[in-house]
Formats: sequence, C-alpha cells, structure tokens
Amino acid sequence: MGKRLFGILFLCAVVFVIAGGSTCLAKEKVYINGIDANFPPFAYVDKNGNPDGFDVKSVDWIAKKMGFTVKHQPMDWDGIIPSLRAKKIDMVASGMSITDKRKEQVNFTTPYWNIDQVIVAPKACGRTVDQLLSGGNRVGVQRGTTEAKWMKDNLIAKGKNFVLVEYDSAPLAVEDVLNGRIVAAAMDDAPAKDAVRKKAVKIVGGFGMPSEDFGYAIRKEDTELLKMMNEGLKLLMADPYWEELKEKYKP
Amino acid sequence: MTESLIVLYGALPYLLRGSLVTIAVVAGAMMLGLVLGIHLAVGQVYGGRWLRRVIGVYVWFFRGVPLLVLLFLFYFGLCSLLQINLSAFTVSVIVLGLISSAYQSQIFRGAIMSLPQGQLKAARALGMSDGKAIALIILPQTLRLSIPGWSNEYSIVLKDSAVAYALGVMEMMARAHFVASRTYEHLPLYFAAGFLFMILTYLGTKGLRILEEKVRIPGYSA
Amino acid sequence: MADTVPILRIEHMTKRYGDKEVLKDASLSINKGELKVLIGPSGGGKSTLLQCINFLIKPDRGRIWLDGTEIIRAKGKALYAYRQKVGMIFQDFNLFDHLTALHNVQIGLVRVKGMQAKAAKERATQELDRVGLKNHMHQYPAELSGGQKQRVSIARALAMDPEIMLLDEPTSALDPELISEVLDAIRTLRSSGMTMIMSTHQIGFAGEVADELIFLEKGSIVETGPPAKILYDAEYPRTRDFCSKITELYANSSS
Repeated sequence: MGKRLFGILFLCAVVFVIAGGSTCLAKEKVYINGIDANFPPFAYVDKNGNPDGFDVKSVDWIAKKMGFTVKHQPMDWDGIIPSLRAKKIDMVASGMSITDKRKEQVNFTTPYWNIDQVIVAPKACGRTVDQLLSGGNRVGVQRGTTEAKWMKDNLIAKGKNFVLVEYDSAPLAVEDVLNGRIVAAAMDDAPAKDAVRKKAVKIVGGFGMPSEDFGYAIRKEDTELLKMMNEGLKLLMADPYWEELKEKYKP
Repeated sequence: MTESLIVLYGALPYLLRGSLVTIAVVAGAMMLGLVLGIHLAVGQVYGGRWLRRVIGVYVWFFRGVPLLVLLFLFYFGLCSLLQINLSAFTVSVIVLGLISSAYQSQIFRGAIMSLPQGQLKAARALGMSDGKAIALIILPQTLRLSIPGWSNEYSIVLKDSAVAYALGVMEMMARAHFVASRTYEHLPLYFAAGFLFMILTYLGTKGLRILEEKVRIPGYSA
Repeated sequence: MADTVPILRIEHMTKRYGDKEVLKDASLSINKGELKVLIGPSGGGKSTLLQCINFLIKPDRGRIWLDGTEIIRAKGKALYAYRQKVGMIFQDFNLFDHLTALHNVQIGLVRVKGMQAKAAKERATQELDRVGLKNHMHQYPAELSGGQKQRVSIARALAMDPEIMLLDEPTSALDPELISEVLDAIRTLRSSGMTMIMSTHQIGFAGEVADELIFLEKGSIVETGPPAKILYDAEYPRTRDFCSKITELYANSSS
C-alpha cells in the first residue's frame, strides 16, 4: 500500500515537472506583451479575468492590423524590464514613460500619449500641493516609477520636507490615502482620474514634474518588431478607433 | 457594502480559477520537495562525509536565502545565464520545490533518526543491500512518521506560493490584487483571497490527517 | 570427524574502536549441527564477535571460511549472498515495525531471494507455524509480546534457509516469564540439526544444550571446552570466577 502510494506520488512529481517545463518548449511564436495589470485604465484585468485597458486594446488592434498574435501577460512592475531583457516577454505596452535611463536598456516606439504627474488627496482635503509636500508628511507613490525617482531627485534631495512611501501599485497608494496612512499620493494623471471616478479622492494638482510620454518598450535587438509596432501605432492613431478608445477608457 | 459584495461575487470565479493555479504550484512544489527531500535526508543520514557536507550546504542555502530573492535569481538570473526560457509557473514550482526539499529533508532526517536503527541491521543480516533496506524498511516508516511535519510544511508552502505573483504567476493573490486595482475594493478582495487560502490549508491538512490515520501501524504509538 | 571441514571457521578476528580493542585475535570453528555458546561478562566482546562474523561490524583483521570457502571480498553481491547463509537473531528482535509478522518473514524471501509472492507467503506461513505463531501472523510487532517477537525473528531468519545461525543474547530483553518459549524454540532448532553460535547469560540452558562453551572476556577468548568442564572444572581462575557467579544467578531460571 505504502510502496504503491509513493510510487504514484513520484510519478506525479515527474510528470508535473516535465509537463510544466514543456509548456514553454511547445508554443508557437506569439508576441507576449507584459502589462502591469494594476494600472487602470491603461492595463488591468476585466471582470472575467481577461486583460483589458487602453494599451491592451491598442496592441490588440495593431496585432490584427499587422498580422501577428499577441498575448498579454500581467506581471510585477518592478521586474518588467528585466523580464523583457530576459525574453520572458517581447514588449511592454502598459503606460510606460519614456526616460533616458530606460532607453539605455530598451528601445521605445514613438510616443503615443502625453501624461502629467499629479497629487491625489482625499476629497475633503483643503490643503495645497505645497502644503501636502511639507511638514514631514507621508506621501505615497508606486515603486519603480518615474515619479518616484523624480520626487527623490528633485524634491527631497533639494530640501523638501516630506517622506516618500512606496507601494506596489497606484491603487494601493490611493487606498492608503483613504486609510489616512499617507496624506496624498503622486501618480500619472490617467490612473488618478480613474481613482477619482471610483473613490472619494480628488486631484489637487501637479507638483512641478515635467510631463512625460508613454511609449511601448521593446528589446534592443528586436528592431523588426520595433518597426512593426511603430507602423502599427501610426495607423492606429490615424484611425477612428483611436478616438473610440479614448472615449471608452478616458485616460 | 452591497457594492463590495457585488464586486466580490463577480470576482469569485476568477479567484477560484486562481486557486487552481495555486494548487498546481503547491502540488508540484511539494512533490518535487518530497522526491528530493527523501534523497537528501537519506544522503545526510547514511552518506559519506563529503556527501553530508554538500547536502548541508544545499540545505543551508535554500533555508537561508529569502524566497523572493531565489525566485528572481532563478527567473532572471539563472534562466538567462543558462539560456533556458522557463515559464514563471515552472520557475515558481522549481524554486518552491527546492526550498521545500531543504525543509522536508530535515523532517525526514529527524524521522529516520527516531527509528530504532536495529532494523537496518536486521535488514542487512537478511542479505539486503543498503539501498533496499532503506527503501523497504526505513523509508516506509520514515514517511509515516513525517506526515505531521509534512502537513505543517504544506501549509507553509501554500502560503509561500502567493509570492509567485511577483513573477506574474496568475495565482490567487495576483488575481485578488488585479481585481482590487480595477475596482478599488481592496478589503473584501484580500479578505476573500485569505479565506480561500484558509480553506486550502484546511483541506490539505485534513486530507493528510486522514492519510496519517489510514497508514498508521496498528499497536504503534509514535 | 577429524577430517570433516568445519561449516564455519574464523581466525584472528580483531576489532578496535579508537584505542579500545574490543575483540582480540579471536578464532573458532564449528561443525555442522553443533551449538556453541559464548559466555562471559557484558562488554566482553560476545556481541562484537557475532556481528563481525556476518560483517554487520567490519572487523579490522581476521579471516572467515564458510563451507571451506574463504569470504574474501566482503561487499556487494558476494556479501549479500553470504549473509543470506548466516541467519542472525538480535537481542532487541529488530522486527520491521511497519510489517505484519507474516510480511516480516516474507520480505526477505521476495525482496532478497526473488521468490514469487505466493510461494513466499506459503513458506513464511510454514515458518511461523513452526514457531507456533500461525494464529498471530497478521499482527504487527507492536501487537506482539516480546517472546512472540523473538519467535517471529527466528522464523524470519529460518525462512532464508541459513547454513548457520548467530543468536545474540536472544532472551536478554525478555521478561522472565517469556524466556522459556524462546528457549524452547531454540531447543527445537537444535534438535532439527541447525548449526548455531549463540551468546547468552542463560548459563543453565547453555550447559544443557551446548556442545561447547566459549568464555570471552575483555575481547579475548579465554577458554573453550565442553560445558561440564567450563562450568565446574575450568582451567583459568577468571572462567571459574565468572561461572560460579553466574550459575548462582541464573541456574534456576532456565530448565
């Protein structure tokens, strides 16, 4: 009885590991788009668990137009560029700001969206941005983002007296604004607007960070894909569907 | 409140599908840990000095390095270094399995040491090779004795599996997180995820207790 | 008798742990059907000697012949084959706790001798019947008394068809009222012609059944001879000392 049982367990283990390993051997060539599914309205998962959002639908349209298949793979934002470089994914179309630092590691398509950084605070809050970013206040931001870096380099390093608290995602930072653990959160204006639509928060205003452009990140050596995505973007932005997307997702 | 419930109700099928991923990760890791752990334990108890030392370092490594570090190390580091492209799921199973094998080996080692060692002598005296004696006499008893410890290890691996979300494995925690980001209903979703983990813990430990009772040696109280 | 080849012969068996020489240059030989009993104080090397004979303890020095053939490379298949021919009974029985009495006897037949399960079961049942345990064959060791356990272990060893049996204080771990059932089993074995080397403190029993007593002290064989001589007319004072003390202690508990 015991012997047989353990024989079976052993077999299960072997089959399992082999099966798990072979799934990635036997797949046909599809481009995988890594997304931060905690970044509505650009990328998130819908009620049925399917990837959705402004960027997701954009890439779907481009894929159809240019004749390739794309799969959206939700993943942790922190590891998204390493994942791209390690060929776990083929592109990042998920509200990624184009920065010089990132350009050293990956290529970007032409910009498709211009974004401002804003401060979000509770609806009832009467303070200004300057008041919020002072007096040792705690302010939330998503880890690994351009705004996190900019605030450290340009505000805190230059004597502004507040504490930056880092979160896994912007919605989590908003949650803590509502909990009162932090007085405000800094984020891109699009997710901020999304939060305002769903929660008792408001956008207080910008905090002096220059506006940024979103682009799709692609591995340096994948020049073919870069060309194809650029072409696709150009077609998309000239198509009426682009306005439809903007209307639907209100980024 | 009702709004939260509607969100939760809508998200439940999605979360439950995530629980299947969680179960797959945990089952794979536990099995891998079992197979490796048995060999490590046998090596550590009966092996020569060098083998024991190597296993000691292995156990030290996998018990000492944090799970998240190992996940990243394997997923980004080792996979690119060795030019193998394993999926996040596979890497999670392997890493959790390797860590668990280190812990499980210590459960099995303790169980082996608690057995009366005269039985091994008796098996040798019958003309069994050491391998046969260990496989037929020592391990069946070791594994029975290990079930309570194994049950504990299961609940730990189950909870650790939530960290696989960092690699993008769509298990329960990742899914709860995604839905919360869309709906801003963090509390009910994390609560639901926690509750599902509790149910899985209960089912697993209950099942193992039934197994323990079923394979119990009559008259033997250990 | 003089030119029969002894079934087992050992020469110059020596074993040391660190500085301590637990077995010093022990030699003995035994003919088919004989029973030789090792006596002597605890820690005198009886158990070490017996375990060196089937290499459960690896002797540092010494040679062994079984049936006139020297056992030279005592490892791997040759060792396993040799051990099958040398049955061993332990003080603590050492039954396999997770197996029923039947399976304890059967496992060696199936897993070592490669017998079919059905034939092995028949044979095992026979052996258990011989030691009077047929009715207990489906019980686990933890459900058996000490005497029953030791009889299972005898059946387990006998099932392998050994040419010689080594019994290492087979009654020392038993409650006094259980000793006689095991001694009876050994008596039966003796009358069936099994060759045995046994260590024991049951001096009365030894005197009754042994062909020869071997007195072992501090790792050395001090004196060897027929029971009557060793027990009542030993040459060496140390043997006499030990024997007079132990006869007082154990004489009444055997026969």
